[in-house]
Amino acid sequence: MATNDVSALGEFEQVVLLAILRLGDDAYAVTIREEILQCTGRDVSRGSIYITLDRLETKGYLKSRLADSTPERGGRAKRYYELRPRAIEALKEGRRALVALWRGLESVLA
Amino acid sequence: MTRHYSRVLRLFARFLPADLREPIAGDLHEEYLRLRERRGPTRAAAWLWWNAARLAFTFRWERATHGRPLPPIGDELREFSHMWDGLRQDIVFGARMLRRQPAFTFVALLALALGIGANTAIFSIVDAVLWRPLPYPSSNTVISLGEQRPRENRLHGLVAAADFYDWRRDNRTFSAMAGIEPASVNISGDAEPERIRGIIVTAGLLDVLGIKPALGRDFTRDEEIEGRHQVAIVTDGFWRRRFGADPSIVGRKITLNANPYEVVGVLPASFWWSSTPDVLLAYVTSGEASRANHSMEVVGRLKPGGSFDQASADLDAIGKRLSEQYPQTNARHFPHLVTLQASMVGDVKPALIVLLGAVGLVLLIACANVAMLLLARATSREREIAVRLAIGAGRGRLVRQLLTESVLLATVGGAAGVLVAAWSLTALRALLPASLRLLPGIGQVAVDVRVLTFAIGVSVVTGVVFGVIPAFMAADQRLASALHQEGRSASSGARSTRLRAALVVGELALSLVLLVGAGLLLMSFKRVLDVSPGFAPQNLIVAPIVRSSPRPQALTFYQELLERVRAIPTLEAAALGTPSPLSAIDGRSGFGIEGRTGESPIPVRARPRIITPGYFATLGIPLIAGRTFTERDAEGSPDVVILNAAAVHRYWPNENPIGRRITFFSNNRWLEIVGIVGDVKHAGLDQDTDPEAYLSYRQTHFAFMGQRLSLIVRTHASIATIAPMLRTVVTEIDRNQPIGAVSAMEDVIAETVAPRRLNLWLVAAFAGVALVLTASGLYGVMSYLVAQRTREIGVRMALGATPSSVLQLVLRQAGTMTMAGIAIGLIGALGLTRFLATLLFGVTTTDPFVYASVAVLLAVVALLAAAIPSSRATRVDPLRVLRT
Repeated sequence: MATNDVSALGEFEQVVLLAILRLGDDAYAVTIREEILQCTGRDVSRGSIYITLDRLETKGYLKSRLADSTPERGGRAKRYYELRPRAIEALKEGRRALVALWRGLESVLA
Repeated sequence: MTRHYSRVLRLFARFLPADLREPIAGDLHEEYLRLRERRGPTRAAAWLWWNAARLAFTFRWERATHGRPLPPIGDELREFSHMWDGLRQDIVFGARMLRRQPAFTFVALLALALGIGANTAIFSIVDAVLWRPLPYPSSNTVISLGEQRPRENRLHGLVAAADFYDWRRDNRTFSAMAGIEPASVNISGDAEPERIRGIIVTAGLLDVLGIKPALGRDFTRDEEIEGRHQVAIVTDGFWRRRFGADPSIVGRKITLNANPYEVVGVLPASFWWSSTPDVLLAYVTSGEASRANHSMEVVGRLKPGGSFDQASADLDAIGKRLSEQYPQTNARHFPHLVTLQASMVGDVKPALIVLLGAVGLVLLIACANVAMLLLARATSREREIAVRLAIGAGRGRLVRQLLTESVLLATVGGAAGVLVAAWSLTALRALLPASLRLLPGIGQVAVDVRVLTFAIGVSVVTGVVFGVIPAFMAADQRLASALHQEGRSASSGARSTRLRAALVVGELALSLVLLVGAGLLLMSFKRVLDVSPGFAPQNLIVAPIVRSSPRPQALTFYQELLERVRAIPTLEAAALGTPSPLSAIDGRSGFGIEGRTGESPIPVRARPRIITPGYFATLGIPLIAGRTFTERDAEGSPDVVILNAAAVHRYWPNENPIGRRITFFSNNRWLEIVGIVGDVKHAGLDQDTDPEAYLSYRQTHFAFMGQRLSLIVRTHASIATIAPMLRTVVTEIDRNQPIGAVSAMEDVIAETVAPRRLNLWLVAAFAGVALVLTASGLYGVMSYLVAQRTREIGVRMALGATPSSVLQLVLRQAGTMTMAGIAIGLIGALGLTRFLATLLFGVTTTDPFVYASVAVLLAVVALLAAAIPSSRATRVDPLRVLRT
């Protein structure tokens, strides 16, 4: 069952999860989107970020917390995200599967 | 600032889940503040609202789909930032969409492959024949020189040899000039006797064409004088076929027409002349050249830097001088110049242009059909497109995607079309009548780079033409209404219905134009076939036999041939004559009428025919007055001539010419008119008959003609039985004597109408395709309309409407479109068919019968196409409709 869930992680979901992991404490929608842009060059729409975050949270991969505002956004509310262990497992599993598939193909695809 | 924030929050309150509203609004606000510092408040506000709206729609959509995962399209579209990557992405995506709807793709591809394929095939012919230069260096300076003779209604007639010599001597604008006459040549001696194609040419033809012999040399002017030399040049193909490419051929003697000819040169493989000769013989003038006998085709090459107009003026001056100097033969004769290319393709140009136009109309109809299919598909894709708009695809981006899809569709269709073109060119080549095989470039017609470029260009343009309106309409739909699950985009529906109706009306109109064109050509063809050739062609077989020995021996040969052939039991009648009816070779000669002096208001000319007794009876040409020839009309007895009705009608309109005498200018013997016979359509069934003068083969006139008589026999036996018998008879007399192609006279006639038949077939095929496409288009639109009105029809039926009143209701809609299409088409046809005028025979471009029958045909086909969807409307179950 768990493996099924892991394999169900979409490519874009993995991207979002990894971006959150990289950002650590500072992961909220604006920074996540910027991190994805910086690392992958993909200019993702805000809509798909929010929808994906919402979906990942519903599926139990993320937890979020409303945080106090910072002066730079004029005191407005902010939702931070962090990964649940389940998400780490899923990412590991995804990576393991990919690495296994990659093995021996370096010469072909290098 | 905060004003924006609170308003965004209010917007989000309607679309976003409660727990997300504030943080998302906060995120937007954060980015807004940053942007405001860099770009100013106006742009930042615009950015803010644009993104807030997009987010609102995204979440509205997410809820509408009940939490189903987002389609990956949104990400895919945004994945590539570069234009090229985007294009690639569009293509990949488009291909996937096309694969997903195989029925739609198949129907659309079929229409496109037919449309683009037919266009590519016709383009490749038109390009090769009309638009490519002739295969000569600076071919645009190669000019064909003819003679305009208004009194004979001739614009570019053949030239008399004496006039040619004067032109060649006196002109200052041509670097070379040459005369050409057709010749049929027998070759014998070293191998099997064979009849080959030849042309008789003066010196300088190779200079005119800009060609150097591969071996040996060109003819010299010295060789034009009779009795000095007998020289020949062979073409590359003949040299290889007959002489095994033997280089020692130059200087050797070969036997042509039973005379030894010295081969002085071999032409390169690149040499091309329309009659595809095997051998060139030097033109020889015997005695004084004639000014009355117009038999020569003249070509010239302009001096470097010289212009066409200078050459025209130059020749005009010479022609004026000649008509003053020789009023009897040259009065009101004007040299007439056109480029050689124009003179070669002039006859077929109107037909080719008409074909190109017709096939273009077919493509337009195919475009309209595919556009309608795309509109139908756009309806089923409304939701997908709404999603894309909702998650932020720009309209331009969306139009680009949809256009890429249609261009992709057209390109695949175009690729299939190129296959269709290659295949139909092969078929067309087999159908090509002999007379069209002489066209320049026709041998090179193929799907080559130019044709491929054309096909690709047409495909892309086609894709844009049929894709652009559906794409804009699809991208312009009302978002909100489309996003409702039960959403009926009423406004865009009404608009696309109007557009569909317009497309169908356009298709009907274009089809009508094509059908009228095909109808007019069909009528012309029927009228041509109805023309009596003036003789009875059934059961007639004709075989040309050129006898090159001197006249007395030739006479003996033909005499013996006729006796032996008449002894064959299955033959009912046999005679000899030249030129045989509808054979290509023909000339005309001026003559004087005894007792008439002064210049005649019309030129007095007739086409001479040399015949044996029994000729009229064998062919079934009626004797109108007087008598026919007998064996007693020989050398030594009084010279006699028989005229055709056309000659009598023209030169003795109100007299009986029997017993009068005429004399041909080429010799000074007076011939007594002893008979009048019916007209024979020699130049073609669709041509007027010229005055003709029949001469007895036993009396010496036009001696050169007396050496190439055709054997004509009437028999009920098949040509396969008769041909070997005739060959046996000929070789029994002389085993070195070849016999020309043995053909049935009915085939000869069929060959003369073959170009007309081919043209008719092609236009009719295009019209047929157009009709099928239009019918399917109408069928599609009516199905759509009925589906759209199902609810309305159900209500009507629930309120008591009968099936027949429902049928009426629906058919009225189809009828309105059909009537509009026919009306517009009739106006278009009246305007466009005048381009057909030169191709018609015995029918005007406004023939009411054709227009009426075509309109009725189209109306019936339209009714049938509308009948199926309409009858579906009558079977609407009101209960089921009202319950849903």
